[in-house]
Amino acid sequence: MNAFQTIAILVILTLAFAVILAALRGWLERKELFTWLAISGAAAMAILWPNVTTKAARLLGISRGADLLLYAAVGLMAVGFLMTYTRLRKIRREMTLLVRHIALDEAEEPPFKVS
Amino acid sequence: MPSAESGVYVVVPAYNEESTIGAVVEDLRAAYANVLVVDDGATDGTHEVAKRAGAIVLRHVINRGQGAALQTGMRLALLRGAEYIVTFDADGQHRVEDIARLLEPIRAGQCDIALGSRFLSDESKVPAGRRLMLRCAVWFTRIVHRMPLTDAHNGLRAFSRRAAQRIDLKLDRMAHASELIDQIRASGLPFREVPVVVRYTPYSLQKGQRLRGAFRIVLHYLLGRVLR
Repeated sequence: MNAFQTIAILVILTLAFAVILAALRGWLERKELFTWLAISGAAAMAILWPNVTTKAARLLGISRGADLLLYAAVGLMAVGFLMTYTRLRKIRREMTLLVRHIALDEAEEPPFKVS
Repeated sequence: MPSAESGVYVVVPAYNEESTIGAVVEDLRAAYANVLVVDDGATDGTHEVAKRAGAIVLRHVINRGQGAALQTGMRLALLRGAEYIVTFDADGQHRVEDIARLLEPIRAGQCDIALGSRFLSDESKVPAGRRLMLRCAVWFTRIVHRMPLTDAHNGLRAFSRRAAQRIDLKLDRMAHASELIDQIRASGLPFREVPVVVRYTPYSLQKGQRLRGAFRIVLHYLLGRVLR
């Protein structure tokens, strides 16, 4: 193992440990736990055996495994941003409706009543 | 108090306007009984000043933007049985006497929505920079909304009850002006532009939109159209 592999594996192990700990404390669903562990496992494999990703890349006509990972990461990140953005919009909208509801509930009438 | 105007509700969205809101509300109250200030989460004395001046005051506990504030105000006006709803800016740039000119064609049954336009009369001394920006906005309106307006971003507007019922602003911030135009077109209700005067003061200019803000608004509006 070279220096990069050692550091990267240590980081991944730490993260995996944190995820397991979170699951034990009930902060994560079982499904989420397995998803994160699968992602960590895949990352560890790609780091320990770079040839695996290179083979996958060649199948798609990309020469290097690292490039395949880069493209995949960019794509996933774009999807992630979009999902976060739509969720943020939804939360903003809900917040406005809530704020409006409170405002209408607590409308302050002047003491004079003209009509 | 003029009781004849009890069917008219003037909605004033206000965010940190303590220096102008008092005079604006007092001027409005001299002619219209129902002045409704929506304090959009102001951190200054806007709320107290508006209340002291005799307005019905609504408070957004968190700042939600002008579009959201307008919608909240219109909702309360409708709940209270408003026949006509007027929107009016809090910074003192509109004239109370223009409201009657907006209401006239609606009352006469000629239209349901009257939009104030500062470019239909030459009384408004629009600064050159502002004029250029607003002209661009008008072209944006003509191209994107296919609406032949001369002043798409004027806060002085009047609605009949049925028109107000069809307005539901979902873009909370400044892009609501464009959204409103879309909804007016979608409502199919007759509208017209009425000349009004916008008074430019150092205060209103400072509170108004600059170029950078304008780009942000266009972005919000376009994103809002794509991501329903």
